[in-house]
Parts: sequence; C-alpha cells; structure tokens
Amino acid sequence: MRPFQMQRREVVGWAAAAIAAAILPFTIPVFAETNRKPVTHIVDITDFVFVPKSLEVRPGDRITWVNKDIVPHTATADDKSWDTGALKPNERKTITVTKKLLGGYFCRFHPSMKAKIATQK
Amino acid sequence: MKIRTLIATVGIALITVMGGAQANDPAKLNDLQIAHVAYTADNIDIRYAHLALALSTNPKIHEFARTMIRDHEAVNTQALALLKKLKAAPQDNFLSKQLTANSLKLIDKMSKLRGNAFDKFYASNELAYHKAVNGLVANAFIPNIENAEVKALFKTGLKIFKAHEKHAEMMVKGLK
Repeated sequence: MRPFQMQRREVVGWAAAAIAAAILPFTIPVFAETNRKPVTHIVDITDFVFVPKSLEVRPGDRITWVNKDIVPHTATADDKSWDTGALKPNERKTITVTKKLLGGYFCRFHPSMKAKIATQK
Repeated sequence: MKIRTLIATVGIALITVMGGAQANDPAKLNDLQIAHVAYTADNIDIRYAHLALALSTNPKIHEFARTMIRDHEAVNTQALALLKKLKAAPQDNFLSKQLTANSLKLIDKMSKLRGNAFDKFYASNELAYHKAVNGLVANAFIPNIENAEVKALFKTGLKIFKAHEKHAEMMVKGLK
C-alpha cells in the first residue's frame, strides 16, 4: 500500500505542476514571455511632477529618472522597497525593472509628488 | 489656543501689510526689493527649520525641516547667482523688516516649546507661513516683476513653495 501512496502523490504533484505551467503565463503578466527587446523609459522630474505620472513597463526594461528641477528629489517606492536616493539637479538614476518596482512611488523630500509604474499589456 | 492666537496674529500682520493700499503696498515694490523679501523669507524658514532640528525628536518634522533647508538654500543660491549676473543688489524694505520682526516673535515663542507642543506649533506655522508667502508671491510679486529672468525664478520658486505648503498640510494632519 505504501509504495502505491507514494506514486499517487508523485502523479498529483506532476499534474499540479503541468496545470500551473499552463495557467501561470496568463495569470501573471509581469513575467509573460515577450520577444520585445528591453527598452529604457525616461521619467523627467520637472516642476515638482514626475513626467509621465503613470508608466507601463516590462521586466528587463530600464527606467531612468532625470531631475530637471533646481532642488533635489528622490523616486521612492510607497512601501520603501526601492529608492533612487537623492538626485541632485541634472542628475539621473537608472533602475532595471523587476516585479518589486511595480506600484506607486513618491518623492521622499516632497511627498505630494506621486506616480506609478504598471505592467505593459 | 495660545499657539493658534499667535500664528493668527502674525498671519493678520502679514496680510495687513500685504493689503495696504497706501505707503506699504507690496505690489509697489521694485524687483530688487522683491528679491530682498524673497531672500529674507527663505532665510526665515531656514531658521525655523534649524530650530525644529534642534528641538523636535519627531522624524517627520526632521524630514520636513531638512527639506526646507535644502530647498530654500537652493532657491537662494539661484537668486544670488541671478543678481550677480544682473550686477544688482537686493534692497531692504518695509516688508522684509516686517517679516523679520514677526519671525523673531515666533522664534522666541517656539524656543520655549517642547515635544508635541513644539511639533504642532512648527507644523501649523509652516502651513500658515507658506500659504501667506505663496499668496504674496502669486498675487503681488509675479504680476509686478519687470525683469523676465527674475520673474521666471519667482515662478519656479512658487512651484517649490506650493509643494512645501502641501507637505506642511500633510504634516499638520499627521500630528492630530
């Protein structure tokens, strides 16, 4: 009986893995396969606004924040999981897109400045 | 109540000066006098911020105060560079004197406060101060500045100070 139980578990395990492999690409678009080459998105920080305020990206893309104001700014995740650090006037910082970049972000120095990063469809 | 009364008094004093139609009319100041007012107003806020860093233990107050120092110093640097380029010097005037006199009263009051009482006073004053100065810049200064470069710098400054006003508003709400 015992060897049979083991075999059954293995079968169930393989079936679950096969189903997950079939479904996951459709349910988690963040890591969807794409033939598109990674691109660099520019976010200008100008007049205390992130431009664009809403950005659509794919994993592997890069985002470059460019501070065009006369005072320092940051781009910081709402949950503080990533941060460009202080960007002085005319400074720029590039970060490669991973899942953790998705969501809202703000400027730590000026919290009324808000923007978001979403998955490109 | 005392805190609110003092801030309201200072606010009214500033508005009275701003609204004066005769001798003390901010709209009648020339570009160099306006530059002096802006430089004075920047330095006053920097002084408030240093006081906050010395007396408050609240991290949000510290973050705001550091931003005030960083941003107002940046604006002053730009203003001085522009005046140097224009080979001009800022001119002292009634409004700069009034702002300084009001700030000394507030600094005296704030220096005696500690803990939450200080934080609330500082936050409320920052909100009232930025509101008053932003109104002055938008309504009395920008429409009357003659030099295009000076006007452009004030427009930039106004965007910065409006962000400070919003930040101060968030700080006030967070302290309630």
